[in-house]
Amino acid sequence: VTERRPRVAVLVFPGSNDDRDAAWALSAVGADPQLVWHADTELPRVDAVVLPGGFSYGDYLRCGAIARFAPIMEAVADFAADRGPVLGICNGFQILCEAGLLPGVLRPNQSLSFVCRDVPLVVERTDTPFTARCELGETLTIPVKHGEGCYHPPDDLPDEQIALRYAPGENPNGSERDIAGIVNADGNVMGLMPHPEHAVDPLLGSGDGGLILASLVDAARERSYSRAP
Amino acid sequence: VIDLEVDAPSAEEARSKLERMCEDLLANPLIESYEIELEERA
Repeated sequence: VTERRPRVAVLVFPGSNDDRDAAWALSAVGADPQLVWHADTELPRVDAVVLPGGFSYGDYLRCGAIARFAPIMEAVADFAADRGPVLGICNGFQILCEAGLLPGVLRPNQSLSFVCRDVPLVVERTDTPFTARCELGETLTIPVKHGEGCYHPPDDLPDEQIALRYAPGENPNGSERDIAGIVNADGNVMGLMPHPEHAVDPLLGSGDGGLILASLVDAARERSYSRAP
Repeated sequence: VIDLEVDAPSAEEARSKLERMCEDLLANPLIESYEIELEERA
C-alpha cells in the first residue's frame, strides 16, 4: 500500500528564500508540495499550508507587517478558521503574528546581532499537528538564522500554547519564557523561529526537523482522507 | 517619525483615518505606542 502524498501549500512572497527548501523537505517526508504565489487570492486544494522563511517584502516597517496584507493571506485565514493546519517558519512565524493568527510579536534579538546556529529545543506539547511524532520533553536540534526572533507574548499567553522552548541556557535571541514555537488556542496554527526544513537529513547535521514536518504531513494526510476526493 | 499627507474633509476625519492606519499597520500596539499630530495644509 502506498500512502497518499497530501498536498501542502508553500507560500511564496517576494523576498521569501526558504520556500524551495521547505518544498524539498516536505517532499522528503512524504508530501506533494505546491508553491503558491502571494498575489493569488485562492489556495489550490491543499491539506496544509506552510509560510516559509525569508524577508517578505524586504521586511520593511516590521518583519511580516507588509506580507500580512498579501492577497493570499485572506485565504490562509479562512483555511486556518476551518481548522486546517498552518505552519509559519521564521519569517512565516512573524507574518502569522502580524496577521493576528498567532498571538505576540517577534522583536530584534536581544544581542542586536543576527544569529545562525544549531539550537537544542525541548518539546512541550505532542498533541498538535506539528509535534505528534515527537516525545514529550524530547530535545530536538534544529538551526536558527534570524535577526528578529525575540518572541514577546501577550501577558496572558497560557503555557499550554507553548509547543517548543529553547533548552535551558540555550536561548539564542532573548525570547521571553524561552519560547521557540507556539500554537494558537485551537492548536492548528503554529509558528517557530528554528528551521525544521534545514534539519531533515542527519548527513547535514540533524534530521530532527523532519519530525515536525512529518507530523504536519501526517495531519495533512488525515485531513485529505476526511474530505471527499 | 512618519510624515503622511492625508486627504480628508475635516481634522476629525483625518485623525480617524490615521488612527486606523496606526492600529492596522504603522504601529504594533503590543509593543509600540503612537501619537498623532495634525497640521493643516492649504
